[in-house]
Amino acid sequence: MADYILEAENLSYIYPDGTQALKGLYLRIPRSQKTAVLGSNGAGKSTLFLHFNGILKPKSGTVKFNGNNVSYDRRSLLELRKNVGIVFQDPDSQLFSASVYQEISFGPLNLGLTEKTVRDRVERAMTATGINELKDKPTHMLSYGQKKRVTIADILAMEPQVLICDEPTAWLDPKHAKQTLQLFDKIIQNGTTVVLSTHDVDLAYSWADYVFIMSDGRVIGEGVPDKVFSDDALLRNADLDRPWLVDVHDLLIKKGCIPPKATLPRNKEELFEKILYHGICTGEQ
Amino acid sequence: MLNIDGFAYTNRLRQVHPLEKAAFAFITMFLCIGFSLPVFSCIIILLMAYAIIGLARIPMKVYLKLMSLPLSFLSIGVLTIAVSISTHGFGAAQLAGITISGINIGITHSGLHSAAGLFFKSLGAVSCLYFLSLTTPAVEIVDVMRKLKIPALFIELTDLIYRFIFVMLATAEDIYTSQSSRWGYASLKNSMKSLGQLTAALFIKAYHRSQTLFTALSSRGYNGRLNVLAPEYTVSVINIVIIAIVESTLAITAILLEMGKIG
Ligand SMILES: Nc1ncnc2c1ncn2[C@@H]1O[C@H](COP(=O)(O)OP(=O)(O)O)[C@@H](O)[C@H]1O
Ligand SMILES: [Mg+2]
Repeated sequence: MADYILEAENLSYIYPDGTQALKGLYLRIPRSQKTAVLGSNGAGKSTLFLHFNGILKPKSGTVKFNGNNVSYDRRSLLELRKNVGIVFQDPDSQLFSASVYQEISFGPLNLGLTEKTVRDRVERAMTATGINELKDKPTHMLSYGQKKRVTIADILAMEPQVLICDEPTAWLDPKHAKQTLQLFDKIIQNGTTVVLSTHDVDLAYSWADYVFIMSDGRVIGEGVPDKVFSDDALLRNADLDRPWLVDVHDLLIKKGCIPPKATLPRNKEELFEKILYHGICTGEQ
Repeated sequence: MLNIDGFAYTNRLRQVHPLEKAAFAFITMFLCIGFSLPVFSCIIILLMAYAIIGLARIPMKVYLKLMSLPLSFLSIGVLTIAVSISTHGFGAAQLAGITISGINIGITHSGLHSAAGLFFKSLGAVSCLYFLSLTTPAVEIVDVMRKLKIPALFIELTDLIYRFIFVMLATAEDIYTSQSSRWGYASLKNSMKSLGQLTAALFIKAYHRSQTLFTALSSRGYNGRLNVLAPEYTVSVINIVIIAIVESTLAITAILLEMGKIG
């Protein structure tokens, strides 16, 4: 029996203006893994995430954390928010303080920790995200990528069991996107569950242990990346492309360059290795 | 305003404890306001000029430009004090003046004296404030307010306003760029219309921002108080001693000058 940290059952939500953003959605997020929620714009990813720490209350259906139904009284909400942290997509709507240090201290202080513990946690979060040298800089003088790292440190300092990131790599250049993903790999090592949303199929394919595909307020497919990204019909329904790695892999099989039934390569390096060492290409060496 | 903010983060006195800088600025300012002596005010202006240009290494040009800002409205204000109006003349006190249909408009010795006093006193006080804002980032001024136990509401407001000045400024810049790239400011008529739309858009964005900020704060356990910790600064005993010596010298000078005036 698998272990799920967050669960949504038959979740529906309607915004005050009448938009039905979630339409009876089912999803269970495995503990201590890297989960990607994939979907095109407007699929309902952000709305779903806001349910996970009780910012939004479902119109119907339930949200479970560690197997227990989420309740919406003040105390339970605080407890939930301590354990489920969200990094928002736009850093400028998360950063409220002009000081990086003060900004990061806000979350842990709300948890009622002692000043010393808070200072320790702020230091550790800054080290983990590599922003120690930004400590004395005002938030409005930071680059987009730096702001993004501060917002991640914001949440890390609260040491949640689940770190949820809404489109963490949107608007980041490839180098910083890669750094951010490496940061998540580091975070997960101490048992933290990392969930991110994205519309980037290549990213989800290479990074995630488990993938949910969302479309129009529902989860229309899920599974390990190999399985999900081999399902063309599913991807088409979700308005998503196939990852280029899968495309190239297929083409190479079709052309007889690598043996059929080979396992899918998860990144560029794995693909190159297949071609170089297992390939039966007849071209020049 | 933005320039000042930039210097606050890069000047040579950046690492000095904000409370020390604030104490220096405010005690000097109170002395300046407390003693109505043009000579004393000038000493303070020179002292602050040295602190700003010599110690903090703010470029002379920037300092002069900032000091010239209050000049225009100061001159007008001071003029109204220097010039006195009377229906029965000023007698011997009058230095210069004209009489128009029985009304005397003139400059008297005491009028001139208090005008000069006010002029230099204002410039002195302003240079104290410039010293603080050019050497101390707003964030650290807020830390000082926190240390002085100023009510949390003021502190939180100051912090938020300061932060959102820059967020809204960036938003306004983006909108302006996008408008002008579509001929939004090509003619006077277009400009008026675009500026109106920009203002309206800013209000809507500000409202939207406050909503998303509230959401983000709530998800971090916001409970009505923006609790934050300031970084720890090291207090410098030498600086405190220097400030104490400078301030007491200033006070003694002022008292001596005052007695000289009376005697
Ligand atoms: N505050 C809101 N008010 C009304 N409708 C909203 C609001 N936020 C999102 N929506 C709508 O809900 C749907 C899902 O949006 P969202 O959860 O933001 O999707 P995603 O994050 O996957 O792009 C969209 O149709 C969107 O227009
Ligand atoms: Mg979204």
